[in-house]
Amino acid sequence: MPADGSPSFKSRESLQAIFRPRSVAVIGASTAPEKLGYQIFRNILEAGFPGTVYPINPKATEILGRPCYPSIDTIPAEVDLATIIIPAPLVADTIRQCSKRGAKGAIVISGGFSETGPEGEALQDKLLQAARESNVAVIGPNCQGVNNPHHPLCASWPLLTRRGGVAIVSQSGTVGAALMDWASQEELGVSTFVSLGNRADVDEADLIHYFAQDPHTRTIAIYMEGVKAAHKFLQAVRQCRKPLVVLKAGRTPKGRKAAESHTRSLAGRDEVYEGVFRQLGIHRADDLEQLYDFSKALAYLPRPRGRRLLIVTSSGGSGILATDMAENTGLDVVPLPEEVARKLRAVLPKHCIVANPLDLTGDANAEMYRQVVEAAGPHFDIVGLIFGDPIPGASKVVGTEPLQLVIYLGGAEVERQERLLFHQKGIPVFPTPERGIRALSELLR
Amino acid sequence: MTIAIGKAMQEGRNLLEPEAYELLAAYGVAVPGHRFVSSAEQAEEAAAEVGYPVVAKIVAPDILHKTEVGGVLLNLNDAAAVRAAYRHIVERSRQAKAALKGILIARMAPPGTEVIAGLTQDAQFGPVVMFGLGGVFVEVYRDVSFRLVPLTEPDAVAMIREIKAFPILQGIRGGRSADLTALADLLLTVSRMGQENPEIAEMDLNPIIVYEKGLSVVDARVLLHHEAAAA
Repeated sequence: MPADGSPSFKSRESLQAIFRPRSVAVIGASTAPEKLGYQIFRNILEAGFPGTVYPINPKATEILGRPCYPSIDTIPAEVDLATIIIPAPLVADTIRQCSKRGAKGAIVISGGFSETGPEGEALQDKLLQAARESNVAVIGPNCQGVNNPHHPLCASWPLLTRRGGVAIVSQSGTVGAALMDWASQEELGVSTFVSLGNRADVDEADLIHYFAQDPHTRTIAIYMEGVKAAHKFLQAVRQCRKPLVVLKAGRTPKGRKAAESHTRSLAGRDEVYEGVFRQLGIHRADDLEQLYDFSKALAYLPRPRGRRLLIVTSSGGSGILATDMAENTGLDVVPLPEEVARKLRAVLPKHCIVANPLDLTGDANAEMYRQVVEAAGPHFDIVGLIFGDPIPGASKVVGTEPLQLVIYLGGAEVERQERLLFHQKGIPVFPTPERGIRALSELLR
Repeated sequence: MTIAIGKAMQEGRNLLEPEAYELLAAYGVAVPGHRFVSSAEQAEEAAAEVGYPVVAKIVAPDILHKTEVGGVLLNLNDAAAVRAAYRHIVERSRQAKAALKGILIARMAPPGTEVIAGLTQDAQFGPVVMFGLGGVFVEVYRDVSFRLVPLTEPDAVAMIREIKAFPILQGIRGGRSADLTALADLLLTVSRMGQENPEIAEMDLNPIIVYEKGLSVVDARVLLHHEAAAA
């Protein structure tokens, strides 16, 4: 911390060494396919890392066809990043050795640190001391690594390579990986995935500070059990101009206790977090699904110019669910202007219910949605399009004026194909009316 | 540092209620007309001065919950009631073995909507301002809102509006709205008091009675950081 007491963030240079390294050493790379040391090394190669990767293991000569080195001292050139998967007592010294070979960053996958008790805590203190003295930025320990598909660098698992606009920062490896997996399945991808683990050195505030400047990141999604350093966190958030979505776990007394033993986090009083998040303009997600949905909406939808919402649906039930959620989240489902209704009644089939919600009913086709948006769009700030049946060509009729929120359900194989087409165009699709409208409402907070 | 805080710090105790009133008044916060007295005669004079009906409250630094020891007598309407109340409180403090500093005679605040506000310390974030409706809303429903010090005006407005019971403040069944501007000003003042007096560890204004116009802080408890003073 500088003399004036203001917090200092990890330098851009040291975090670049972690997220965009030119070369990587995998210390503890393994020949055994069931070991993380093998999987991470393989994932770095298979994701297409553009630089040199050095596997390091004194007991192997070659891993996946690459020559293996007995120690970091024996590699032929310097490295930017060390990925470390070796027993906890060896980590601190290894970080010092890596620093001597040029490393500015390290990802420590190994567990056995503060999460295990006082002995582990002492090892973590040594790790931190080594990191500070040798000027190496450390992610972890006890973490699931880093995946930057834009570089690409997959020093993590599972192997996922889809590029997108949401940065995922998670105190839990699995929670973060699940988000990334969903984004990958939907072909939306992520900008970067970071598993923080025990946050001995690099914490969420450093990463908010970094991703605020990252050109690929539009929105930052964070899973946390508590902030590490309140003052630093506040400063990072106040400086960040991108939407931040946070899922803060440990809301109940027993949840708080579980958080303390998971990553030794001080979970704090939930009402205070609620107030702080509101004060800072952080979007608070109540569960994983909301963390995913809010980030998706904030990253891929523009901000609507107002709250007037027209709901167009092929499913009456879905239209009502959407209306209820809209009412509960402060959106205005205002009546359809009479002149627009008259125009639409002339072109739509007789059995359509021309109101708001506008129910095209089960035999709706993509062309009808287009006609509705064309006639009614100018009178609304947002059109919520609910495709509630297998409606082919949906992705061809959705435009950008006014803001169009796409919800697709009940469409089976056609829906799955259309969803991917939408996502390839950068238009997010939500799986239920409630989730779509709830996420949309965050854009107006 | 106000004189009251300085004196209490020196004596290693928290603020007495008359001192808490003094602190609030120094920040322009409305408190009921009151006198701090130490005899039955003074009590009677004080009551006549502040105007009936009055309340008599025990002032003793080691008593945190005045009502529980029978140290608060409400709705005293004449001189005889005030003298009796004085004697009763002296007797109760003797039974509770409390060091009695005196008795506070304050004008009874007319009824209105009861809210609470306060300042507490969060282990990580430091001083925070709290707001909620009084009674069951806080105790049962935990219907409270928090913001970090320092508060901005939009923060104060937002923390009033976000409690679930907000419609009660706006006025239900044809009732008139409570003075939301005065309430927002009070929250900003609490924030400023926290910022300007780092000796304050905790402040509990409970209840505050809000009217169509204005409000009155009826009961105030201010705890100080004594360790910080020693350091």
